[in-house]
Amino acid sequence: MKLRRWFLLPAWVWMSALFLAPLAIVLDYSFLSRGPYGGAAQPWTVESYQRLFDPLYLTILLRSFAMALAATAACLVLAFPAALFIARAPRHKNLYLQLVMLPFWTSFLVRTYAWMFLLRDTGLINTALQAIGIVHHPLPLLYNDGAVLLGLVYGYLPFMVLPIYATLERLDPALVEAAADLGARPFTALMRVIVPLSKAGIVAGSVLVFIPCLGAYLTPDLLGGGRTVLVGNLVQNQFTTARDWPFGSAASIVLMALVFALLWGSLRRDSEPLL
Amino acid sequence: MNRRSFLAGLAGLAGCARDKRPRLNVYNWSSYIAPETIPSFEAEFGVRVRYGTYESNEEMLAKVFTGNSGWDIAFPTHTRLQPMREYGLLAPLNHEWLPHLANLDTRFRAPVWDPELRWGVPYMWNGTGIVYNRGVQPAPARWSDLWDARLKNRLTMLDDPEDMLGACLKKLGYSFSATDPRQLHAAEEAAIAQKPLLRAYLNAEVRDQLVSGDVLVAQLWSTTAQQAIDAAPNLAFAYPEEGFPFYCDCAVVLRESGRVRLAHQFLDFLLRPKVSAQIVEATKTATANGGAQDLLPESVRTNPVLYPPASTFDRGEWPKTLPAATQRLRDRIWTEIKSA
Amino acid sequence: MNRWVMKRWLAAYAVAFYVFLHVPLLILAVFSFNSSRFTVWEHFSLNWYRAVFNDPQILEGTWNSVVIALWSTTVSTLVGTLCAYGLWKRASRFLTGGLYLSLVTPEIVTGVSLLALFQWAFRWLHWQLGIYTVVLAHIAFLLPYVVIVVSARLRTIGPMLEEAAMDLGANELQAFWRVTLPLLIPGLIAAALLALTVSFDDYVITSMVAGVDSETLPMVIYAMARRGASPVINAISALITVLFGVLIVVSERVRES
Repeated sequence: MKLRRWFLLPAWVWMSALFLAPLAIVLDYSFLSRGPYGGAAQPWTVESYQRLFDPLYLTILLRSFAMALAATAACLVLAFPAALFIARAPRHKNLYLQLVMLPFWTSFLVRTYAWMFLLRDTGLINTALQAIGIVHHPLPLLYNDGAVLLGLVYGYLPFMVLPIYATLERLDPALVEAAADLGARPFTALMRVIVPLSKAGIVAGSVLVFIPCLGAYLTPDLLGGGRTVLVGNLVQNQFTTARDWPFGSAASIVLMALVFALLWGSLRRDSEPLL
Repeated sequence: MNRRSFLAGLAGLAGCARDKRPRLNVYNWSSYIAPETIPSFEAEFGVRVRYGTYESNEEMLAKVFTGNSGWDIAFPTHTRLQPMREYGLLAPLNHEWLPHLANLDTRFRAPVWDPELRWGVPYMWNGTGIVYNRGVQPAPARWSDLWDARLKNRLTMLDDPEDMLGACLKKLGYSFSATDPRQLHAAEEAAIAQKPLLRAYLNAEVRDQLVSGDVLVAQLWSTTAQQAIDAAPNLAFAYPEEGFPFYCDCAVVLRESGRVRLAHQFLDFLLRPKVSAQIVEATKTATANGGAQDLLPESVRTNPVLYPPASTFDRGEWPKTLPAATQRLRDRIWTEIKSA
Repeated sequence: MNRWVMKRWLAAYAVAFYVFLHVPLLILAVFSFNSSRFTVWEHFSLNWYRAVFNDPQILEGTWNSVVIALWSTTVSTLVGTLCAYGLWKRASRFLTGGLYLSLVTPEIVTGVSLLALFQWAFRWLHWQLGIYTVVLAHIAFLLPYVVIVVSARLRTIGPMLEEAAMDLGANELQAFWRVTLPLLIPGLIAAALLALTVSFDDYVITSMVAGVDSETLPMVIYAMARRGASPVINAISALITVLFGVLIVVSERVRES
């Protein structure tokens, strides 16, 4: 099968040069010390990792985890009924799906900025509320954790809809009918039959939302005003203005490790192969 | 939509691709140059200038410290000159190529941080103080006034480790350039105590929010404050009573530049009184150029925000470059403050 | 609650859901035509669109984004197609695993790791960050996307046609070139359009590896957004949204055909 080898060669080059090598360098840097004015230099040390265990930075990790969890939960609750609606729609299923995906495929930056535009003190929501007379001073809607959560949910909601829809679509309607025949009301049937049966989709969607949210950088930066510091912001910060590459590298490695652990845990269950 | 301007833009873009003129890459603070300066330099010397901007020394250093950023000229604040020199980032200045150097104000001819003017040409200087909305009563006059809970969410501090920590140090009565770790940690605690009141750490970006009234009080550089006051007369500026820093942004030639002669020509161009005066008029900054000051109208020359009177001036200090160990501690403290 | 009520609730919810998803973007677009910079409607104006086309920074950023997107899409589609085909013939757990890992790696980590790679290489090469580093970085993270899309297409094609061709005397290369590849074209186009939009929109990775000359449109937008809001961003956003929307609709049509 020689042809196959040639075909895979560019991908192998990519893998080693543009994926493994960079990660190896980051791993290397994570064990170095910060140079006098920045960068990474000898001697070898585990100080960067030790620093990460400082309560301050553990808090950042925990906060990122909590934020990602909250975003995933919110996405789940919001996406499930929508996926159910699409799965049960008699016609135009594809259209409904495309309408869900359309905002997702437009620029992420633009969609994050849209919420800046809406939530600012001089933004639309505040202007409208003041015009109606509900409030007299602008509400501080932007630059807080809530705004970041909103931005994350808005950004990754379609990721949750698709897998759940895929599972619901394959659900045997006979099962739901059976539940109804046995006297279950629609809501009971939903919670006790449909939701458990769509577990695979829920898990897939949750993983697809949780992991990007864990490493989010742009949303907390723009919508959190630099006050909501998550792991992604910490890493970016250390590689730019703080110029502490070893510490940033250590934080990156830990973030990667968390992501891999999560993926490993969720891939244990059988799921559709993407590749 | 103006079709002509669109086509002109595209044509300009296409022209860029085949531009054969020598290039010069200048990296400066935002809002620190007049609209005519670069075009007139380009026209007179037949070069093409790429002009990039940054909001903080850290942002500039992050790009430049690798030694291969691609920039030829940068404008670090005077305290960063020594570290940049020690790191081998600066090219020494050749005074033969800077005939207009004599135009500098007497205060800046042999400054404390660079007595022979070997590394940086003083460009603009400013002080850090408090800009506030006149609606805030009583008017803030001390750094400690910025810890007032009434200002919650309408207050910003500078996104600059030196200035932000400096304000905390001054509030506690210590020196701006303190090196004692205990003093620094005390300042850190004060900063973290203040953080819940802050809307954000912002540099010049806060100007629009001051003008619109979103932000009531901000720690800000005097030049940016003056720009805000010009846009919104209900703003005022105060140099805090406990003391405050003065900074001088200096134009430097980066060692990595392959166009040292051209870079010097640009620096010399900036030293011309007319050019400097034009920049001051456009940006409302305080120039280190004595020749330019003579060309300015009286009202600008005596503006207390930009050129504070002697009584105020004496309360200020020029921060010194800190020893490397202290700098590391401060950088670490800054990360901790930002992460809290 | 009986079934009929549930159905109505679901429909009402769906409407609210779609409103939530689309209205922010629509509002952005609407206010891009507002002559005032504030969120109080003054009158209809194309001012901000004029400003977009008059701003050399925006134009240059767009040009850079286009150049980078075209280059990285071309290379990643090429490499990705070959990779997907190779993996389809015989799986390689290592390569597949690597592609998965690359897909889930947070963008900021990809960005800093590539920056670290380039700066490490520059210690010897004495080069600088520029358009080419951004292109390389984009190829790096676009590859898994392309492989996924093309692999999905390969699965629908199935191996039977190639096997038939080989039974009839074609060698491997001929079977690929004359049987599978033509059938793959819709998948290739879909993958390329996907790569194009992802590349054009990228901010995080690009900002880490861009050089003096390689500011992209998302970087320009980000800098403007950081300074506060300006209706110019609304105008750019509306233009980008329409552009991406068109690309995606075209991509869907191609994929369905």
